[in-house]
Amino acid sequence: MDDRSAGLDKAIEAIKIGVSDPERNQLHIELDQFLDWLEPMLGVDTGDQEGLLFSHDAVNVLREDSPRQSDPAEIQEAAPSFAGGFYLVPKIME
Amino acid sequence: MELRKTTVHRVAEAVLQGEITAHQLIDITLKNCGVLNEGLNIFTAVAGVDASEQARAVDQKIKQGKKLPLAGIPVVVKDDLCYGVLPTSLGSSAFSEFISPVTAAAVERLMDAGAVVIGKTNLDDMGQGSTTLSSPRGATANPWQAERTAGSAGAAAVATGICMLAVESDSGGALRQGASHCGVAGLRPTTGRVSRYGLNAHCSSFARVGVTAFSCENISGVLDIISGFDERDAATAVCRDGIQENIKAPGSEDITIGYPVTVFDFLEPELREVFEQARDEFAGHGYKIKEIELGLLREGLQAYYVIALAEASSSHARFDGIRFGKTGAADNLHNMYFQSRAEILGQEARRRSIFGTFLLGKGNYGRYYRQASKIWQMVRREFEGALKDCDLLMLPTSKNLPRPLQGQSSFLDQWSDDLFCAPVSLSGLPALTIPAGQIEQHPVGMQLVGPPFSEKTLLNVGSASEHKN
Repeated sequence: MDDRSAGLDKAIEAIKIGVSDPERNQLHIELDQFLDWLEPMLGVDTGDQEGLLFSHDAVNVLREDSPRQSDPAEIQEAAPSFAGGFYLVPKIME
Repeated sequence: MELRKTTVHRVAEAVLQGEITAHQLIDITLKNCGVLNEGLNIFTAVAGVDASEQARAVDQKIKQGKKLPLAGIPVVVKDDLCYGVLPTSLGSSAFSEFISPVTAAAVERLMDAGAVVIGKTNLDDMGQGSTTLSSPRGATANPWQAERTAGSAGAAAVATGICMLAVESDSGGALRQGASHCGVAGLRPTTGRVSRYGLNAHCSSFARVGVTAFSCENISGVLDIISGFDERDAATAVCRDGIQENIKAPGSEDITIGYPVTVFDFLEPELREVFEQARDEFAGHGYKIKEIELGLLREGLQAYYVIALAEASSSHARFDGIRFGKTGAADNLHNMYFQSRAEILGQEARRRSIFGTFLLGKGNYGRYYRQASKIWQMVRREFEGALKDCDLLMLPTSKNLPRPLQGQSSFLDQWSDDLFCAPVSLSGLPALTIPAGQIEQHPVGMQLVGPPFSEKTLLNVGSASEHKN
């Protein structure tokens, strides 16, 4: 198994998405196509160019830190399930 | 009242003056909906009773003396934007019954101004795509040629006259391509101008909320309403002290339009002809045309996809059946995650999540993601450089006609359709798609791109172009 194939299988396992065997095989083919498609981008001489991480230059955009009232009833209403003073979620502990 | 032949301003005035009530207008609109939508598959949900109630509330406010600038205006909302009354499917069948506890800021602002939401519109799998071909509900057909895709269902709704405005997201170009394919106008605003609160963005770096309408005049009528600071979206902090509009003098002789000759390397011949005609028409109207180079369009598209997929892999992580989405049936936790995520994410979203995770993996991050972030910077500087010599740039919106509903097109073919839109998304600049011409009676659009906060100039030029044609 080459690096690409191993990397793809690792990615599928890492993000926990169920895929059938035919889909997995197809994804291996498509990943090769995709990475080949990216070749022109890899060929660009970026020199000492710095990468961009944000699409705007704004900094320190946090709002003023001021206390506010929250409405527990509103939050309860939005919750999928609420009973006896608790928010109910699927069981995840085994 | 045919909504395509009038303006937002005129309709709102008619409602305010009592020539027609908002309720009557929406009643007619909803009745027309069924007929106009036949065979197109525009909606994921139609408001019905809720729209009537909204309209009655608008009429009530008018009676109380409120001057609502969008009184009774029927609006549709793309289904990745939350509206707290109708389901917000996000383009996944797993969310078909999800009612969001919030309403998106842009929608909220339109409703506060008197607009009435009449429905939610179809979209690709988890909002990822510019065709609707990957929608779990099937693709939306083009009102001009029903055997082709509409690009965006909101644009189709506007083009048919079902509504006057569509509020839509645009990351790699869905809003702009939809407008191009349906022969209407669509605006992707400057980064930070319109709040994205309430938008399920698969790639937050590039997702924006914009508007599609039948004319630039109609977009102008709502731009100020949806723009501005919103503490719930930090990107709008650039508007905290108001918006510094970048308005160029209205005279065409004062405006230089940059014309990138590099697009011809990628355009199909018939679209090239339309683009050249559009350039000649601008020149004929007195605009100065300056040839420019944009040499990184293809690489910009590729960089966009590397970054967008990486961000999608992260933003999709919350759809695990516990935090969001239905919990899949399984005998243990491990299988439950796999099952839930397979059910929530469709094929396109799964592909993007998996490839995005691969790109961020050891060894790939430096090779692909870091290179893409550098290209992002270079593309941004390239656009900024072009706009030092020009006031606006003109670019095609699509490199081909909309894709057929039936027939094969690979995922890379579909991603490549964003060739002229995705690099503009990297630039962070505002872009307006307007109709440029037709091929075999099928509309073809073009983009006008300007400096940050130049939307009003773009709309002025676009509007003048509409009237002169």
